Amino acid sequence: MNKLLVSDIRDLNDGIYKISSKNNCLDLNILGNVTIYLINENIDKINLNLKDGSNLFFYDFRENNQNNISVNINQVNNSKVHYNYSFKNSEDCECIINNDIKGNNNESYLSIRNISNKGLSKIIINVKVFEDTTDNIALEDLKGINNGGNVLVEPNIVALSNEVVANHLATIGGVDKASLFYLMSKGINESNAKEILLKGFIYSNMDDFIKTGGEDYA
Amino acid sequence: MLEIKNVTLKVLDKELVNNLNLTLNDGEIHVLMGPNGVGKSSIASSIMGNPNYEVEGSIKYNGKEITNLNVYERAKLGIYLINQSPIAIEGVTNAEMLRLALSEKTGEAVNIFDFSKELESICESLELDKSFIHKEINVGASGGERKKIELLHLWVLKPTFIMLDEIDSGLDVDALKIVGKSLAKYYEEYKPTMLIITHSNTLIDYFKDFKVHVLENKRIVKSGSKDLAKEILSKGFKDVSDTFVIRENENYE
Repeated sequence: MNKLLVSDIRDLNDGIYKISSKNNCLDLNILGNVTIYLINENIDKINLNLKDGSNLFFYDFRENNQNNISVNINQVNNSKVHYNYSFKNSEDCECIINNDIKGNNNESYLSIRNISNKGLSKIIINVKVFEDTTDNIALEDLKGINNGGNVLVEPNIVALSNEVVANHLATIGGVDKASLFYLMSKGINESNAKEILLKGFIYSNMDDFIKTGGEDYA
Repeated sequence: MLEIKNVTLKVLDKELVNNLNLTLNDGEIHVLMGPNGVGKSSIASSIMGNPNYEVEGSIKYNGKEITNLNVYERAKLGIYLINQSPIAIEGVTNAEMLRLALSEKTGEAVNIFDFSKELESICESLELDKSFIHKEINVGASGGERKKIELLHLWVLKPTFIMLDEIDSGLDVDALKIVGKSLAKYYEEYKPTMLIITHSNTLIDYFKDFKVHVLENKRIVKSGSKDLAKEILSKGFKDVSDTFVIRENENYE
């Protein structure tokens, strides 16, 4: 695991990186197979430029997000991005993710989980697949839970090419009643059942490194 | 003992069951049969405390009125339901859920070493891959695996009144054998009271003695023993002999 304190534009080659940033902006060029973890970082602007042949797994986890964040993902040819963002908010916040797919043979998987404890959380996703491109895949998976606050999502996919697989899923609601009933029927009280369901939800698009606390013992 | 007295069951103002009377004494196995859509699953779900159902009448478990208790309070009394299609819960593992349920049941912290050993041993007996212990509940599991996972939960939580809602549906012969043997062993060891909802004799053949009831037209219309189940399975619900018909408002115990 590489631990990076990033303060300017960086090229990231093959590797796994846990990133902290000196300022509020993260500007990265991705080359090769790269995994990035941001854990409770107050970064509000993220630019990710995926170079030819790159493959990025990006995990951004924020226990209590208080920022408006803006993410720009640029793909040209033969790249793959799994962008996973999971956050809770206790005041109004906005998240805008722009993903431009300008070339051929790219894959984009955007997965967002949000628990809004207070205030309005506005999530806007704009995926644009450019004209005259082929063999691209764009999938959006957005899920929000109104847990005292409210979640609003705008999932947009603009496909200007005929040769693209594009799909989006967006759900907003409260804690799932069937799941709550199931856990309570096993003898777990309502408060604990709700707590583990919310915990499970917020970590559901994160990997084991973050689920186990994000500490590197190596 | 579970006593159902004059129970009428409604969902969204639609009456599903009318004036149901049934008593299940401690350690007895009762089998509930009936055509699709007559309300068998609704009875089990409402006994468990599903808030989607409106219940009029009385349901007592070990002398305690439970109609006003929520699902958690009923589970704490030892009431347990395995649904015909167990749901998947993203982000919550079997181990995490069971550890929490067990610590609530006993009021003590769970010894992780003993707990893990027990789960592994149950998985072995169910021929269930041990990796499921730390997997999210029923996520990515096949129908057969889900039923085995529910049995894993049962063996850990050790309920005293068990409702099995078509646990045998969708199982292949090998899985059915494992599920049947596991339930028979559990019955042998803990003597729970059981309510089994089924459309076949494949599961009930694992038990020596049980009572059979047929639900039709919102009430129990026939009751009997093993022979009734055999006759239903050979002739169908319509052609079962009148020997089994019970009179209007007769309670069956």
